[in-house]
Amino acid sequence: MIFRLKSLFWLSWAAKTTILLSVVFFLALFAGDASAQKRFSKNYPAGQNVRLQLMNRTGTVTVIGWNRAEINITADLEAPAAIIVPQNLSGTIVINLVRDNQGRGEVGSVNFTIRVPFSSMVDIETKIGNLSVTNIRSGLVRARISSEGDITLTNIESTAVSAENGIGDIFFDGEIQEGGNYRFSSMSGSINIRIPFNSSFRVVATAPSTRNISFGSCANANMSYLGDGRRVIGRCGEGSATMTATNQRGVIKFLAR
Amino acid sequence: MNCDECKNLIGVFMDNELGENQASDVRMHLAFCPECAHVCEDLTSILDVCKTESPAEIVPPNSQALWCRINNIIESEGKPAPAPVVEPRGRFWRLSFMQLTAVVLFIAVVSSGVTFVAIRKYIQPVADDFMARSAATQTTFEKVLSKLGLAETPMQARERQTKERVAMIDYWNSRVQARRVQWDRATREAFDRNLRVIDESVNDYTMILQQDPEDDLSGEMLDSVLNDKVNLLRDFSDL
Repeated sequence: MIFRLKSLFWLSWAAKTTILLSVVFFLALFAGDASAQKRFSKNYPAGQNVRLQLMNRTGTVTVIGWNRAEINITADLEAPAAIIVPQNLSGTIVINLVRDNQGRGEVGSVNFTIRVPFSSMVDIETKIGNLSVTNIRSGLVRARISSEGDITLTNIESTAVSAENGIGDIFFDGEIQEGGNYRFSSMSGSINIRIPFNSSFRVVATAPSTRNISFGSCANANMSYLGDGRRVIGRCGEGSATMTATNQRGVIKFLAR
Repeated sequence: MNCDECKNLIGVFMDNELGENQASDVRMHLAFCPECAHVCEDLTSILDVCKTESPAEIVPPNSQALWCRINNIIESEGKPAPAPVVEPRGRFWRLSFMQLTAVVLFIAVVSSGVTFVAIRKYIQPVADDFMARSAATQTTFEKVLSKLGLAETPMQARERQTKERVAMIDYWNSRVQARRVQWDRATREAFDRNLRVIDESVNDYTMILQQDPEDDLSGEMLDSVLNDKVNLLRDFSDL
């Protein structure tokens, strides 16, 4: 009887300790989570020719075109949370986290998801992180990563497209517009350009280290290989669009769809 | 009546075949016009000779030559007087010696200026020109200027461009070094990784160019990666 009582007492103490530790652990976990993750959200009415200009520090940026005359910005902020002060400057939505957080030292990543009208001009940039732009038919799509991160541009029908990164891949899936200008530049990674098989453009593709430039179904007799295959100059069709692709230490591939 | 009308009628007048009124007018004119009166006297004397002398005496020995001379005289008198000599338009170039000297000096100064500007342009090509120019694409004029030492060769231009880029890299690198202590570990590592990749490319192209200074594509790529390095340093200098 005495043993049973002692046992019960001991079990009770162990259970209490376990429960207490569990509560403390989960409280600490959720409390930490709550302070680390903040969310920013804002809507702006927008015309069809609005321009989005975003300069991020670190984190991913996803821009999606939608069929609404408004811009929806949502951002998940990691601790220490960055300051975000979007501005609407006569039709241009400007978000500059570098300027807004100047001199703050350590600032957590900010992951943006921004929805804009299909016809918006998109100019996004980040120091570190991936950039993604989808469903845009405007005069400009520009994506630049100062250091490392992938750039993914899908369903793009713009007349001026520029994608530039350091270490990371670039993927473009869209249509080449008549008279358009397309520029892809990477230091290390792969550049994949997926365009309709009947696309028409002039091209200068340079891959000095790998000499791996594949035109797929776009290859034709109008292509000239220069510098022992380090550069290819040529044209597909008779179009007046121009494309420049430079990959210092990676490959360049054209894929037909 | 004027002289012309009088001369037209004077022959008929001497033959007494004019009407009274016209004859009176001719007489009045002859009374006041010595020239017409002189013509009338000449004609009268000719008629008198014709009437008094025999035809054999009147006809000169070489009548054909005489008629030719008369004919020539009549024709020469009948020709219109030569137009007064007018200075033709557009003779502005008829300059004095001083004016000519001034014009020559002006042309010399202008052509010297144009040549100077052209040479300066080739000595200091803009970035785009630098990318486009190479030993193979040099014009004859550029080659001549290079040989004369008035313009840079493409290799010299590349070296100068590289030096400028290196100076910019040093500047931005000093700013980055001052800031990087504030970065978090992930940022530092990402920056270092990218810088390493760029430096590898710089070394590769530098080595290629040492072996083959005429490799324009490597020269262009070297410039491109140096530019990428400047951009990377500048972008991270404001973090």
